[in-house]
Amino acid sequence: MNPEPFLQLDRVIHEKGRLAIMSMLAASPELSFTELRDALVMTDGNLTTHIRALQQEGYVAVAKSYRNNRPLTTCSLTAPGRKAFAEYINLLEQIVRQTKSR
Amino acid sequence: MEPNWAEENLQTIRTLMERSALYRHALAPIMLFAGVVGVLTATVGLILHWDSPRAFGALWLGAAIVAIAGAFFIVRRQALKDNEPFWSPPTRRVAKSLLPPLTAGMILGVVFTFFPTTGVVDFTLLLPFLWALFYGCALHAAGFFMPRGVKWFGWIYVGSACGALCLLMAIQPQIEISAHWLMGFFFGALHLAYGAYLYLTEKGKNAA
Repeated sequence: MNPEPFLQLDRVIHEKGRLAIMSMLAASPELSFTELRDALVMTDGNLTTHIRALQQEGYVAVAKSYRNNRPLTTCSLTAPGRKAFAEYINLLEQIVRQTKSR
Repeated sequence: MEPNWAEENLQTIRTLMERSALYRHALAPIMLFAGVVGVLTATVGLILHWDSPRAFGALWLGAAIVAIAGAFFIVRRQALKDNEPFWSPPTRRVAKSLLPPLTAGMILGVVFTFFPTTGVVDFTLLLPFLWALFYGCALHAAGFFMPRGVKWFGWIYVGSACGALCLLMAIQPQIEISAHWLMGFFFGALHLAYGAYLYLTEKGKNAA
Protein backbone atom coordinates (compact mmCIF):
# COMPACT_ATOMS: atom_id res chain seq x y z
CA MET A 1 0.00 0.00 0.00
CA ASN A 2 1.28 3.44 -0.94
CA PRO A 3 1.71 5.45 2.30
CA GLU A 4 1.95 8.78 0.47
CA PRO A 5 -1.73 9.90 0.86
CA PHE A 6 -1.62 9.12 4.61
CA LEU A 7 1.44 11.31 5.07
CA GLN A 8 -0.13 14.17 3.14
CA LEU A 9 -3.29 14.33 5.28
CA ASP A 10 -3.60 17.81 6.83
CA ARG A 11 -3.14 17.26 10.58
CA VAL A 12 -5.09 20.40 11.48
CA ILE A 13 -8.18 19.18 9.62
CA HIS A 14 -7.70 15.50 10.50
CA GLU A 15 -8.73 15.94 14.16
CA LYS A 16 -12.38 14.79 14.31
CA GLY A 17 -13.81 17.92 15.96
CA ARG A 18 -12.14 20.25 13.47
CA LEU A 19 -13.08 17.96 10.58
CA ALA A 20 -16.73 18.16 11.66
CA ILE A 21 -16.55 21.98 11.80
CA MET A 22 -14.92 22.16 8.36
CA SER A 23 -17.57 19.76 6.94
CA MET A 24 -20.44 21.86 8.26
CA LEU A 25 -18.92 25.10 7.01
CA ALA A 26 -18.11 23.62 3.59
CA ALA A 27 -21.83 23.13 2.92
CA SER A 28 -23.07 26.50 4.10
CA PRO A 29 -22.00 30.07 3.32
CA GLU A 30 -21.73 30.78 7.06
CA LEU A 31 -22.94 29.35 10.35
CA SER A 32 -23.39 30.98 13.72
CA PHE A 33 -21.35 29.78 16.68
CA THR A 34 -24.50 28.46 18.34
CA GLU A 35 -25.62 26.56 15.27
CA LEU A 36 -22.25 24.82 15.07
CA ARG A 37 -22.23 24.09 18.80
CA ASP A 38 -25.74 22.59 18.74
CA ALA A 39 -25.29 20.62 15.53
CA LEU A 40 -21.99 19.08 16.64
CA VAL A 41 -22.94 18.70 20.32
CA MET A 42 -19.78 20.46 21.52
CA THR A 43 -19.18 22.61 24.57
CA ASP A 44 -18.54 26.33 24.11
CA GLY A 45 -14.91 25.88 25.24
CA ASN A 46 -14.25 22.94 22.97
CA LEU A 47 -15.72 24.66 19.93
CA THR A 48 -13.81 27.89 20.68
CA THR A 49 -10.52 25.98 20.90
CA HIS A 50 -11.09 24.18 17.59
CA ILE A 51 -12.23 27.34 15.81
CA ARG A 52 -9.19 29.21 17.11
CA ALA A 53 -6.89 26.46 15.76
CA LEU A 54 -8.59 26.63 12.36
CA GLN A 55 -8.50 30.43 12.42
CA GLN A 56 -4.75 30.44 13.18
CA GLU A 57 -4.21 28.15 10.19
CA GLY A 58 -6.20 30.61 8.05
CA TYR A 59 -8.93 28.07 7.25
CA VAL A 60 -11.84 29.74 9.05
CA ALA A 61 -12.91 33.39 9.28
CA VAL A 62 -14.81 34.59 12.33
CA ALA A 63 -17.03 37.66 12.15
CA LYS A 64 -18.67 39.39 15.08
CA SER A 65 -21.74 41.54 14.60
CA TYR A 66 -25.09 42.36 16.19
CA ARG A 67 -28.56 41.14 15.32
CA ASN A 68 -31.59 42.46 17.17
CA ASN A 69 -29.21 44.14 19.62
CA ARG A 70 -27.61 40.82 20.52
CA PRO A 71 -24.05 39.77 19.67
CA LEU A 72 -23.78 37.36 16.76
CA THR A 73 -20.64 35.34 16.00
CA THR A 74 -20.52 33.73 12.56
CA CYS A 75 -17.92 31.42 11.07
CA SER A 76 -17.18 30.72 7.44
CA LEU A 77 -14.53 28.90 5.43
CA THR A 78 -11.83 31.02 3.82
CA ALA A 79 -10.56 30.29 0.30
CA PRO A 80 -7.44 28.47 1.65
CA GLY A 81 -9.73 26.58 4.04
CA ARG A 82 -11.98 25.45 1.20
CA LYS A 83 -8.92 24.39 -0.83
CA ALA A 84 -7.39 22.49 2.11
CA PHE A 85 -10.72 20.75 2.76
CA ALA A 86 -11.05 19.72 -0.91
CA GLU A 87 -7.48 18.35 -0.86
CA TYR A 88 -8.23 16.45 2.34
CA ILE A 89 -11.32 14.85 0.75
CA ASN A 90 -9.31 13.93 -2.36
CA LEU A 91 -6.71 12.20 -0.19
CA LEU A 92 -9.39 10.29 1.73
CA GLU A 93 -10.89 9.14 -1.57
CA GLN A 94 -7.44 8.00 -2.74
CA ILE A 95 -7.06 5.99 0.47
CA VAL A 96 -10.51 4.43 -0.01
CA ARG A 97 -9.62 3.47 -3.58
CA GLN A 98 -6.30 1.96 -2.41
CA THR A 99 -8.06 0.00 0.34
CA LYS A 100 -10.62 -1.37 -2.11
CA SER A 101 -8.06 -2.35 -4.75
CA ARG A 102 -5.98 -4.39 -2.26
CA MET B 1 -6.12 1.41 12.39
CA GLU B 2 -9.35 0.11 10.84
CA PRO B 3 -8.97 -0.40 7.09
CA ASN B 4 -12.26 1.38 6.32
CA TRP B 5 -11.71 4.46 8.53
CA ALA B 6 -11.25 6.68 5.47
CA GLU B 7 -14.57 5.55 4.03
CA GLU B 8 -16.30 6.09 7.38
CA ASN B 9 -14.76 9.56 7.62
CA LEU B 10 -16.04 10.39 4.15
CA GLN B 11 -19.51 9.17 5.09
CA THR B 12 -19.47 11.31 8.25
CA ILE B 13 -18.34 14.35 6.28
CA ARG B 14 -21.10 13.78 3.73
CA THR B 15 -23.74 13.52 6.46
CA LEU B 16 -22.52 16.66 8.23
CA MET B 17 -22.46 18.61 4.98
CA GLU B 18 -25.96 17.48 4.13
CA ARG B 19 -27.23 18.49 7.55
CA SER B 20 -25.99 22.03 7.10
CA ALA B 21 -27.27 22.49 3.57
CA LEU B 22 -29.61 25.22 2.49
CA TYR B 23 -33.00 23.70 3.41
CA ARG B 24 -31.98 24.17 7.06
CA HIS B 25 -32.86 27.84 6.58
CA ALA B 26 -36.00 27.03 4.60
CA LEU B 27 -37.51 24.51 7.02
CA ALA B 28 -39.47 26.96 9.21
CA PRO B 29 -41.23 28.74 6.30
CA ILE B 30 -41.96 25.36 4.64
CA MET B 31 -43.57 24.03 7.83
CA LEU B 32 -45.60 27.20 8.33
CA PHE B 33 -46.75 27.17 4.71
CA ALA B 34 -47.74 23.48 4.89
CA GLY B 35 -49.58 24.19 8.15
CA VAL B 36 -51.55 27.07 6.64
CA VAL B 37 -52.47 24.90 3.62
CA GLY B 38 -53.58 22.12 5.99
CA VAL B 39 -55.74 24.38 8.15
CA LEU B 40 -57.32 26.12 5.15
CA THR B 41 -58.06 22.81 3.41
CA ALA B 42 -59.63 21.36 6.57
CA THR B 43 -61.76 24.50 6.96
CA VAL B 44 -62.94 24.30 3.33
CA GLY B 45 -63.73 20.58 3.71
CA LEU B 46 -65.69 21.14 6.92
CA ILE B 47 -67.64 24.17 5.67
CA LEU B 48 -68.52 22.66 2.29
CA HIS B 49 -69.14 19.18 3.78
CA TRP B 50 -66.92 17.47 1.21
CA ASP B 51 -67.17 14.16 3.03
CA SER B 52 -67.69 11.71 0.18
CA PRO B 53 -64.57 9.61 -0.52
CA ARG B 54 -64.02 11.26 -3.90
CA ALA B 55 -64.48 14.83 -2.69
CA PHE B 56 -62.34 14.18 0.40
CA GLY B 57 -59.52 12.51 -1.56
CA ALA B 58 -59.52 15.06 -4.37
CA LEU B 59 -59.45 17.97 -1.90
CA TRP B 60 -56.56 16.61 0.16
CA LEU B 61 -54.52 15.25 -2.74
CA GLY B 62 -54.86 18.70 -4.29
CA ALA B 63 -53.72 20.27 -1.01
CA ALA B 64 -50.70 17.91 -0.94
CA ILE B 65 -49.72 19.04 -4.44
CA VAL B 66 -50.03 22.71 -3.42
CA ALA B 67 -47.95 22.09 -0.26
CA ILE B 68 -45.20 20.21 -2.17
CA ALA B 69 -45.09 22.85 -4.93
CA GLY B 70 -44.91 25.59 -2.28
CA ALA B 71 -42.07 23.78 -0.47
CA PHE B 72 -40.10 23.54 -3.73
CA PHE B 73 -40.70 27.23 -4.38
CA ILE B 74 -39.49 28.20 -0.88
CA VAL B 75 -36.31 26.05 -1.17
CA ARG B 76 -35.60 27.48 -4.63
CA ARG B 77 -36.05 31.04 -3.36
CA GLN B 78 -33.67 30.28 -0.46
CA ALA B 79 -31.15 28.75 -2.88
CA LEU B 80 -31.23 31.88 -5.06
CA LYS B 81 -30.88 34.08 -1.98
CA ASP B 82 -27.86 32.09 -0.68
CA ASN B 83 -26.37 31.81 -4.17
CA GLU B 84 -26.36 28.01 -3.88
CA PRO B 85 -27.46 25.33 -6.36
CA PHE B 86 -31.08 24.24 -5.92
CA TRP B 87 -30.86 20.64 -7.12
CA SER B 88 -27.70 19.82 -5.17
CA PRO B 89 -26.65 16.30 -4.03
CA PRO B 90 -28.04 16.91 -0.50
CA THR B 91 -31.39 18.04 -1.93
CA ARG B 92 -31.46 14.97 -4.17
CA ARG B 93 -30.85 12.68 -1.19
CA VAL B 94 -33.64 14.30 0.80
CA ALA B 95 -36.02 14.02 -2.18
CA LYS B 96 -35.03 10.36 -2.71
CA SER B 97 -35.66 9.45 0.91
CA LEU B 98 -39.04 11.23 0.94
CA LEU B 99 -40.21 9.63 -2.28
CA PRO B 100 -41.05 5.97 -1.36
CA PRO B 101 -43.34 6.64 1.66
CA LEU B 102 -44.99 9.65 0.00
CA THR B 103 -45.62 7.69 -3.21
CA ALA B 104 -47.10 4.79 -1.22
CA GLY B 105 -49.38 7.21 0.65
CA MET B 106 -50.47 8.90 -2.55
CA ILE B 107 -51.23 5.59 -4.32
CA LEU B 108 -53.27 4.34 -1.35
CA GLY B 109 -55.08 7.68 -1.28
CA VAL B 110 -56.00 7.41 -4.96
CA VAL B 111 -57.15 3.79 -4.55
CA PHE B 112 -59.28 4.48 -1.46
CA THR B 113 -60.66 7.67 -2.96
CA PHE B 114 -61.53 6.70 -6.48
CA PHE B 115 -62.25 2.97 -6.00
CA PRO B 116 -63.96 2.95 -2.60
CA THR B 117 -65.40 -0.34 -1.42
CA THR B 118 -68.62 -0.54 0.50
CA GLY B 119 -68.19 -2.39 3.74
CA VAL B 120 -67.77 -2.05 7.46
CA VAL B 121 -64.54 -0.05 7.21
CA ASP B 122 -64.78 3.67 6.45
CA PHE B 123 -61.65 4.23 4.40
CA THR B 124 -62.17 8.00 4.35
CA LEU B 125 -61.75 8.00 8.10
CA LEU B 126 -58.78 5.64 7.88
CA LEU B 127 -56.90 7.74 5.32
CA PRO B 128 -55.75 10.53 7.71
CA PHE B 129 -54.03 7.93 9.92
CA LEU B 130 -52.41 6.14 7.01
CA TRP B 131 -51.24 9.40 5.47
CA ALA B 132 -49.88 10.60 8.82
CA LEU B 133 -48.03 7.28 9.26
CA PHE B 134 -46.50 7.41 5.77
CA TYR B 135 -45.64 11.09 6.19
CA GLY B 136 -43.98 10.35 9.54
CA CYS B 137 -41.90 7.60 7.91
CA ALA B 138 -40.94 10.00 5.09
CA LEU B 139 -39.82 12.67 7.58
CA HIS B 140 -37.86 10.12 9.58
CA ALA B 141 -36.07 8.90 6.44
CA ALA B 142 -35.29 12.47 5.32
CA GLY B 143 -34.16 13.31 8.86
CA PHE B 144 -30.91 11.41 8.27
CA PHE B 145 -29.86 14.23 5.94
CA MET B 146 -31.52 17.11 7.76
CA PRO B 147 -31.42 18.69 11.21
CA ARG B 148 -32.01 16.10 13.90
CA GLY B 149 -35.37 17.59 14.90
CA VAL B 150 -36.94 16.37 11.64
CA LYS B 151 -36.47 12.74 12.71
CA TRP B 152 -38.24 13.49 15.98
CA PHE B 153 -41.00 15.27 14.08
CA GLY B 154 -41.41 12.09 12.03
CA TRP B 155 -41.74 10.07 15.24
CA ILE B 156 -44.39 12.52 16.49
CA TYR B 157 -46.44 11.77 13.36
CA VAL B 158 -46.05 8.02 13.73
CA GLY B 159 -46.86 8.14 17.45
CA SER B 160 -49.80 10.51 17.19
CA ALA B 161 -51.28 8.60 14.21
CA CYS B 162 -51.12 5.30 16.12
CA GLY B 163 -52.37 6.88 19.35
CA ALA B 164 -55.22 8.76 17.68
CA LEU B 165 -56.29 5.63 15.76
CA CYS B 166 -56.48 3.61 19.00
CA LEU B 167 -58.41 6.43 20.66
CA LEU B 168 -60.81 6.71 17.73
CA MET B 169 -61.44 2.94 17.71
CA ALA B 170 -62.33 3.21 21.39
CA ILE B 171 -64.71 6.16 21.07
CA GLN B 172 -65.95 5.82 17.48
CA PRO B 173 -69.37 4.32 18.24
CA GLN B 174 -70.14 7.19 20.64
CA ILE B 175 -68.58 10.13 18.80
CA GLU B 176 -68.73 10.83 15.07
CA ILE B 177 -65.67 12.72 13.91
CA SER B 178 -65.04 14.22 10.48
CA ALA B 179 -61.88 13.10 8.67
CA HIS B 180 -61.23 16.80 7.91
CA TRP B 181 -60.71 17.45 11.63
CA LEU B 182 -58.09 14.71 11.75
CA MET B 183 -56.37 16.02 8.62
CA GLY B 184 -56.48 19.54 10.02
CA PHE B 185 -54.77 18.32 13.18
CA PHE B 186 -52.12 16.15 11.49
CA PHE B 187 -51.26 18.34 8.52
CA GLY B 188 -52.35 21.75 9.77
CA ALA B 189 -51.81 22.08 13.50
CA LEU B 190 -48.69 19.86 13.76
CA HIS B 191 -46.96 21.69 10.88
CA LEU B 192 -47.84 25.08 12.34
CA ALA B 193 -46.58 24.05 15.79
CA TYR B 194 -43.26 22.75 14.42
CA GLY B 195 -42.86 25.76 12.12
CA ALA B 196 -43.45 28.15 15.03
CA TYR B 197 -41.00 26.17 17.19
CA LEU B 198 -38.34 26.30 14.45
CA TYR B 199 -38.94 29.98 13.80
CA LEU B 200 -38.59 30.90 17.47
CA THR B 201 -35.58 28.66 18.18
CA GLU B 202 -33.72 29.67 14.97
CA LYS B 203 -34.22 33.29 15.90
CA GLY B 204 -32.74 32.60 19.32
CA LYS B 205 -29.84 30.60 17.91
CA ASN B 206 -28.85 33.29 15.44
CA ALA B 207 -28.63 35.87 18.16
CA ALA B 208 -25.70 34.35 20.07
